[in-house]
Amino acid sequence: MKKLIIYFSLFTLCLSSCKKIISIDTENAAPQIVIEGKINDQLIDQQIKISKTIGYTEANVFPKISGATVTVTDSKGNNYVFKEGTTPGTYINRMRGVPGVTYNLSVTAEGQTYTASSKMPNVVKMDSIGVIKNFFFGRERKTAAVFLKDPANETNFYHFNLYVNDILSERFYVNNDRLTNGNDLRIQLFFKPPTNDHDSDELNSNDKIKIEMECIDSNIFDYWYALSQQSNRGPNQGTTPANPTSNISNQALGYFSANTYQVLSATVK
Amino acid sequence: MLIKHYLALFFLLFLSTSIFAQKKFTLSGTIRDAGTGETLIGATIRITGASTAATLTNNYGYFALTQAEGTYTVAVSYMGYASVVKTINLTKDTKLNEELKSAIDLAEVTVNANNRKNENVKSAQMGLERIDMKSLNSIPVLLGEKDILKTIQLLPGVKSGGEGNTGFYVRGGAADQNLIILDEAVVYNSSHLLGFFSTFNADAIKDVSLYKGGMPAQYGGRLSSVLDVKMDDGNNKEFKFQGGIGLIASRIKAEGPIVKDRGSFMVSFRRTYIDLFLRSSPDSTVNGSTLNFYDINAKANYKINDKNTIYISGYFGKDNIGVKDLFENNWGNVTTTIRLNHIFSDRLFSNTSLIYNNYNYTVRLLNDATNFKATSLVRDFNFKEDFQYFSNKHTLRFGINATQHRISPIDIDSDEASQVNSLTQERRYGIESAAYISDEWTVNEHLNFLYGVRLAAFSLMGPGNFSTYDADGNTLSTENVAKGKFHKNYFNLEPRFSVSYLFNEENSIKASYNRNTQNVHILTNATSSSPTDQYVLSSTNIKPEIADQVALGYFKNIQDNNYEFSGEIYYKWLQNQIDYKNAAELLANSNVESELLYGVGRAYGLELFFKKKFGKLNGWVGYTLSRTERKFTELNDGKYFPARQDRTHDISLVGIYNMTKRWTFSSSFIYSTGNAVTYPAGKYSIGGQMAYYYTQRNAGRMPYNMRWDVSATLEGKPGKKYQSSWNFGIYNLLARKNPYSIEFITDPNDPTKTAAQQTSLFGLIPSITWNFKF
Repeated sequence: MKKLIIYFSLFTLCLSSCKKIISIDTENAAPQIVIEGKINDQLIDQQIKISKTIGYTEANVFPKISGATVTVTDSKGNNYVFKEGTTPGTYINRMRGVPGVTYNLSVTAEGQTYTASSKMPNVVKMDSIGVIKNFFFGRERKTAAVFLKDPANETNFYHFNLYVNDILSERFYVNNDRLTNGNDLRIQLFFKPPTNDHDSDELNSNDKIKIEMECIDSNIFDYWYALSQQSNRGPNQGTTPANPTSNISNQALGYFSANTYQVLSATVK
Repeated sequence: MLIKHYLALFFLLFLSTSIFAQKKFTLSGTIRDAGTGETLIGATIRITGASTAATLTNNYGYFALTQAEGTYTVAVSYMGYASVVKTINLTKDTKLNEELKSAIDLAEVTVNANNRKNENVKSAQMGLERIDMKSLNSIPVLLGEKDILKTIQLLPGVKSGGEGNTGFYVRGGAADQNLIILDEAVVYNSSHLLGFFSTFNADAIKDVSLYKGGMPAQYGGRLSSVLDVKMDDGNNKEFKFQGGIGLIASRIKAEGPIVKDRGSFMVSFRRTYIDLFLRSSPDSTVNGSTLNFYDINAKANYKINDKNTIYISGYFGKDNIGVKDLFENNWGNVTTTIRLNHIFSDRLFSNTSLIYNNYNYTVRLLNDATNFKATSLVRDFNFKEDFQYFSNKHTLRFGINATQHRISPIDIDSDEASQVNSLTQERRYGIESAAYISDEWTVNEHLNFLYGVRLAAFSLMGPGNFSTYDADGNTLSTENVAKGKFHKNYFNLEPRFSVSYLFNEENSIKASYNRNTQNVHILTNATSSSPTDQYVLSSTNIKPEIADQVALGYFKNIQDNNYEFSGEIYYKWLQNQIDYKNAAELLANSNVESELLYGVGRAYGLELFFKKKFGKLNGWVGYTLSRTERKFTELNDGKYFPARQDRTHDISLVGIYNMTKRWTFSSSFIYSTGNAVTYPAGKYSIGGQMAYYYTQRNAGRMPYNMRWDVSATLEGKPGKKYQSSWNFGIYNLLARKNPYSIEFITDPNDPTKTAAQQTSLFGLIPSITWNFKF
């Protein structure tokens, strides 16, 4: 909302606003471990990915960490050993998570042990997806949207991934029901392509859209929400950027999430 | 106990000089502008004879001087006015009501260097900047809208909130730590259009004083500065109209006598008209959009008799932003002040004020699925009683003040179809009360003291549910407090002390210490001021913010006051500062206090100021070298980090050249170090997207800011009743791309790498304004 107001004002006031590439003075930090683990409620190869950070100025190739010991236990006493698959740094186990069950992750890599736990929330059904037309300064703009009914009797947290023509939108979409508990929700997901071309952020007829929906726990909501607040807007805009609070111990970056998973696809008319 | 000792000491000091009093009489009166009848604030009254003394008129143009019986020469002077010199036989209490002729009315630009001679050097007050409303008119500004808040940003120790922004930081304080008052009423949000313009229409403003340090005891409630803005009283001699037409706004002001020489009124109106251009668009969404603001300032005064004068003043302003069928947002301030000046005796002056002010906003989303209206309100009722007692070597001020705050954080109103639920967040009630006493003591020709104390009390009142939280933000306890019951009380003693020592008429050193506390806080994690900024009161969780400042300065006048130089150093300690947890949700959150972090801060710096006050070419150079840091256990490994507004160097250069009687040229140049920001030190992949890894908070720097603005004013032919002038301005003459924000994108030259992309707001912007007066 606030963003909208600011964009609107800038649009009107900036008679000659402009952008340019600058060089910034920053240190390249020593590599840090990044753990990204997900257990969902589908019977698939569940993945725990372990990698490292690189310096700000380096090329975007993220080193994978092989040879780690990765286990997941759950509150029912099950024990799952994750084995490194064909992709280095990705540890897999074919299993299905169950809503209401708490999963505990243990990773030992490079002599350090990292632990985390996450409780899989109940499934909230993703009813449908669609395209909404907005008019912004006389231009019609199509936006992907998710429709669902938020359950009134519990606190819910949602995370979405949007793909347009199989390209992942570079935004973190995250919602809670703090102000919308118990209602029919229509959540708009504004597309941001990975390119710098701001004209290509529009949906066009015959574009294929795919939306993944995850019901997540509150720690994971905070994680995605912190990222969405910062996104890549950089400094001097919005909140002071900081590393999102991870639910993994020992100062690892990343998160371990037990979440539900649904996916729907549609074609833009 | 501490209070008792302090007061005992206070009276001892005060009485010590009065004990030896001989037969003395008081010279008192009011000093006004001869053309308009406006009272003159801060005019100098200097008497010489058997003894020498000087004083300044107060906020209502009143002064009183007590001297031994005898014959004296009295000189009354005021910057930009011709002085009046008289001989007076002080054999009884005497009235002296003088009217000074403005240099403009004298039809010649003779600016007398003797006016207010050496006041900056003599007074114990330090850290005070007074804005000359006349030079304000010629300083170039964005789009030609002259603006007091942008002008004060050109002074040392005051930093801009950002490009074209009226927000400001004083000596390392945050933007919400400035007490901004208009005719004594607090203006909570002083910006229009998200900060590009201020709520102060310069046409309606008479006097602006900014205290950066050494705050006198009559001011309290904010940590870092006091911006005391006073509206015009209105011409009590004849009806006058003035106005202007600019690129984005037009202004009109009317003033005149209610009863000649006894009472006057002033009404001023300003409105922008960007949306009138939008309306001419053929497109229905564009012409249905709104983007405007307006201000109304109104004031009336009436002198009931020689002892009583009543003033009523008000401000009403509103901003409207909206896109048809999408959203509407409006916000504004309302202030009303009713004041009664009463002169008990020649020596005892009193002012009673009843003040109402509010700030409110409404956001309405018109989207069919998220249709709702959110409203918020901060409302104060304020009662003030101030006394001024003028004695031989002392000017004593004392008074009380009680403010009731009511904050409605947010009310959301939505219909059945909307996916947003209706919500009423609990109102918060608080009472801020204060009692103060201060004394300005002229010990001898060399030594002046300004010392006092303010006792500030704050009570958070019921009704309401008040919770406490653990470090993770979980509720520990909730207490239900009934209506009218006290939930939490804070008492703070705020000593204020300044001293000046004059080596001679033109050289002095000054030192000051003051403590300020603050109980109304803004919560915002955005970097620019926003209309939806949230106000909270001190509570069990939020402790009153406390600032202690010490300052030391050297003041010098050169060439008979033609040049003025000052250098000040300061150090400030800040306690109970507020920051936010990661992923803090501030809006419409009844547990918002669980999202906060508390820490300390420190700020220190050097300010140099060199001013040429008179002559064809005048202006100033200001330089600030400073550091501003904060420390929170939970942030940056608990180590001090630079605050965002920490800018090491800050330079401003202002020049005004009166080439001929009709042409005036002016120029302002600013340079400042970039904001302290957090740059990524690394990057990683998460959720298939790039995320950045951060190490030290605010260890990076934005590129520096530099801007040169110029303007020229052409006055119409003089001598007619009707006057007009043209103002031509160019903002950012060098068309430099100053940084507004930085975002990280894929490097256009190497897609495997990351690049920083800077956005700038304004290039070179010309402006033209036509002003008239009749």
